[in-house]
Amino acid sequence: MKHRTTTAITLIAVSALAALAGCGGSSGSSSGTSAAASGAAVRGGDLVIARTADSQSMNKTTVFDNESIWIFQQIFQTLYTVTPNGKGVQPMLATGYKVSADKKTYTFTLRPGVKFSTGQPMTSADVKFSIDQASAADKGWGYINTAIKSVAAPTPSTVVVTLKYPWAPLLADLSLFSNGIVPANYGGKSETAFYNAPVGTGPFKWDYWHKGSALKLVRNPSYWEKGKPYLNSVTWTDVPSDNTRQLQLKGGQAQIDEFPAWSTVASLKTTPDVTMNLFNSTRTDYLAFNELRKPLQDMHVRRAISLAVNRAALVKAVLFGNGKPANSLFPPQVPYYQAATQGLQFDLAAAKQEMAKSSVPHGFSATILVSSGFSDYKTIATILQSELKPLGINLKIQQLDPNTANTNQQSLKYDMTLTYWTMDIPDPDELATFAVDPKSGARSFFTAYNNPTVVKATHDAEKTLSTSARQDLYNTVQSGSASDAFMAFLYNSPYAYATSSSVHGFYVTPLGNYHLENVWMSK
Amino acid sequence: MGRAGFVVQRLLLLIPVAVGVTIIVFFMVHLIPGDPAATILGIHATPKAVALLHQQWGLNRPLASQYWLFLDRLLHGNLGQSIFYGGSVTSLILSHLPPTLWLLAYATVLTVLISVPLAVLAATRKDGIRDHVVRAVPLVGLGMPPFWLGFLLIYAFAISLRIFPVSGYGSGFTGHLRSMFLPSLTVALALTPVVIRSLRASMLNVLGAEYIVTARSKGVPSHRLYQRHVLRNAVIPAVTVLAINIGFLVGATVIIEQIFAIPGIGQLMINSIFQRDFPVVQGVTLVFAIMVVLVNLLADLSYAALDPRVRFDR
Repeated sequence: MKHRTTTAITLIAVSALAALAGCGGSSGSSSGTSAAASGAAVRGGDLVIARTADSQSMNKTTVFDNESIWIFQQIFQTLYTVTPNGKGVQPMLATGYKVSADKKTYTFTLRPGVKFSTGQPMTSADVKFSIDQASAADKGWGYINTAIKSVAAPTPSTVVVTLKYPWAPLLADLSLFSNGIVPANYGGKSETAFYNAPVGTGPFKWDYWHKGSALKLVRNPSYWEKGKPYLNSVTWTDVPSDNTRQLQLKGGQAQIDEFPAWSTVASLKTTPDVTMNLFNSTRTDYLAFNELRKPLQDMHVRRAISLAVNRAALVKAVLFGNGKPANSLFPPQVPYYQAATQGLQFDLAAAKQEMAKSSVPHGFSATILVSSGFSDYKTIATILQSELKPLGINLKIQQLDPNTANTNQQSLKYDMTLTYWTMDIPDPDELATFAVDPKSGARSFFTAYNNPTVVKATHDAEKTLSTSARQDLYNTVQSGSASDAFMAFLYNSPYAYATSSSVHGFYVTPLGNYHLENVWMSK
Repeated sequence: MGRAGFVVQRLLLLIPVAVGVTIIVFFMVHLIPGDPAATILGIHATPKAVALLHQQWGLNRPLASQYWLFLDRLLHGNLGQSIFYGGSVTSLILSHLPPTLWLLAYATVLTVLISVPLAVLAATRKDGIRDHVVRAVPLVGLGMPPFWLGFLLIYAFAISLRIFPVSGYGSGFTGHLRSMFLPSLTVALALTPVVIRSLRASMLNVLGAEYIVTARSKGVPSHRLYQRHVLRNAVIPAVTVLAINIGFLVGATVIIEQIFAIPGIGQLMINSIFQRDFPVVQGVTLVFAIMVVLVNLLADLSYAALDPRVRFDR
């Protein structure tokens, strides 16, 4: 069911690739040995992913934008990477490590035979340079590496990371894309020039980026995993309209539709030649309360509101049933998530009791700030408006464009707002610090929430290496923040990707990253 | 004053228009609340990180001095740096301009190809069935909102019949010709009713003129009569109508580009506004203004090409 243009583009791309690779064998017969799982992985094909927005930059140390991160993760690889279930790490460019008795020195052994897409072998000097650069990024991800004191490269295949203090999330931190490996000294280029045409050890290498239109990567012929990647190229096209992305998938112009609208998920499940994937994610949506505003600094008010929210109804109305009510600050796919945490759930009678105990027993008026970028948030706000009426709360909806809404949220110029989180590393530390520490840059997820017991448990957990002791500390964080109702935990939603049924091996981890070296297309 | 003098005069007029537009746009985009740092840093926006970025972008200076800097750069042919992408605004605009120009030109050509024969059909049988059909049916195109019409065309020609790609810009000349057909048709269908009506009306006017009677009595064959005498004289008001509408279209391309995923400057404009990428918004608006002025200039010049009596002595 191939479209004529797709075939034409394929031909052009194949010949371009052959020219690039400097070899004639374009329609490869070297399917490799590692096709075991899917049985008949086929080499070749040009994958087109229609996505919601353009990338911003390929600078892995400073960019926070997913549409950039998911692309450069195909180029830059890390020493360790997150496991498919999102709860741990597995070796990538390292093969193993040894840790000293004082738990402050980690010695990593690098994987032999790894080359950059330029053909240059990767050595410990490249690793040291890459991690040092990531640590130095003052307006980017540098804070992830704060526990690292120094990185040394005693031999070409060993890297020694020395810590300031024992630090439990180290491997998780090193699996963050900001610690991806680039050539030492950017291969002799300036930082800007390097990230305009980045080079890494990953399965794909840079081809072009037409800003606002398309970004293309092609197969890295010197990739270290035997027989991979299968695809000749991957192109991300920018298609902001939900409808158009879906039409492109149905018309064969794209093979993957990133984030189809929830309202269309059911119909996509029954569309011929389309596979509707819902991958477990770490996304949780929250209703945040600004504790600098009266009467939201009153715990009883927050608890009352949280108890009045019918989460099952939200999942039905907003996600069309494709999600679950949330019960904890942490999403279920995060290590140390406590299933037993009794985050407040819908109970109108209990809500009224809490309200009676509060400073405003007869209700009050407040505004909910909604970003116009998320049509779902308007729906939630409208539902909340009617759900809070029985408590005497008169909720006004203030809808602002995404940029202004973000600015107001970050400067705590709101009463209540809707917000969300997705994990970047397979460790709860990043989220916990961000969400409950009023002294962190984010001032407790921009709510000004402050519970010293919870804050202390968060920081103790960073330096505790025993798994069971960490679990206890994170239980304190989860139950404390749930009981304080500093935010109402609304729901967990999956990552939705509609793919053509010709696409195989496409899998998204709960952290949102995908490994395109495992993807192949049937003819 | 000859034609060259007229063109120079009209091009000089661009300067006050451009300056006026930059002043309005500059202060308007800065009046909207919101901060580009909020887009770039997302929920990681700490006050320290925001301040660092503001300093880097020069957003911590007074507004008037920022505007002065913008004008100064502009005089040197430099539109500044995009806040979001970090690259030059000029190259960003140049890479987004071709799809929009394609859309405008292609739509204009299709409009002419559809309207002229239909208008002739209608005018030759005034008040006949043919006339009524031609006057009524295209109105449907005018009445339908472009985003809906666009999706209908996609369903029909790209999903069901698979003749054209669903969307995108395509690559190479024939690729563009195929990919841009549906979006251009969407635009053209909205334009044709107006052009047909004005062309038909002015043709009927011309048909009643004495020189047509003379030509007929001289025995000029019908097709030649229409080609040389009727159309040529009737087309000028239609050109005016078309030019004015293309001016409006420059704005309407924003919607069409969104539906058909065309990477033109309309899309660039929308994204830049949401990202508060001030330099890009300023640059794109400037380009839009210049395009509107140029289209009108082209219309004026085409009057002279069509009718030698038109002179540029005003």
